[in-house]
Amino acid sequence: MMPQLLTVRVDRRHRRPVRLWIPVLPVALILAPLLVLALLGGIIACLIFRISVPRTLGTGWRVVSALPGTRVDIKDGHTAFLVSIR
Amino acid sequence: MNEQRKDILDMLAAGKITVDEAEQLIAALERDQPLVATLPEARPKGKPKYLRVLVDTLEAGEPGRVNVRVPLQLLRAGVKLVALIPPQALQHANAEMHKSGVPFDLTQLKPEQLEALIEHLDEMTVDVDQPDAKVRVFCE
Repeated sequence: MMPQLLTVRVDRRHRRPVRLWIPVLPVALILAPLLVLALLGGIIACLIFRISVPRTLGTGWRVVSALPGTRVDIKDGHTAFLVSIR
Repeated sequence: MNEQRKDILDMLAAGKITVDEAEQLIAALERDQPLVATLPEARPKGKPKYLRVLVDTLEAGEPGRVNVRVPLQLLRAGVKLVALIPPQALQHANAEMHKSGVPFDLTQLKPEQLEALIEHLDEMTVDVDQPDAKVRVFCE
């Protein structure tokens, strides 16, 4: 399943905490033109380095769809950083 | 036959306990066994889905904590990427590693072997306990 929500939280001492909830699908749709360009760049790179394009696309999609559930939470003293993918 | 029942029968054979006492012990054992089966440790665990890394540190009196949860599915997908690395890139990497004193042949690393490694990760637990740091790596 494709990631749906990316949560980023940054807490620092004496500063307002930053909390971002990024809905992946709407953002991906807005950035679609750039994603298409990136995809084309990737395909050209695959052809240059003689890597199978369908296999690369399949593996890339598998990596993206395996992302939900990932969580990185780092706290050091009064600074905290959290990235969560759902 | 389980170990405890065998011990009781051994004691009976050795004449340490009477037949009545052996019967009572075996009856008590049978009464306890359903209880044991309902304990969480005795239940078959579900297949783990995540690799978890927990690090707790204490540096200059300031506590630090790292809590990382990675889906095992992501590791499996990442392993598939190895198959996409062009052979010439692996040779370059091998040469550089050899120069750095790490004679490791990456071309011998097969995706199937890595997949087998990930399959067995769920049985792995790493615990490092130091006065100022604690590290735990496990699957859940």
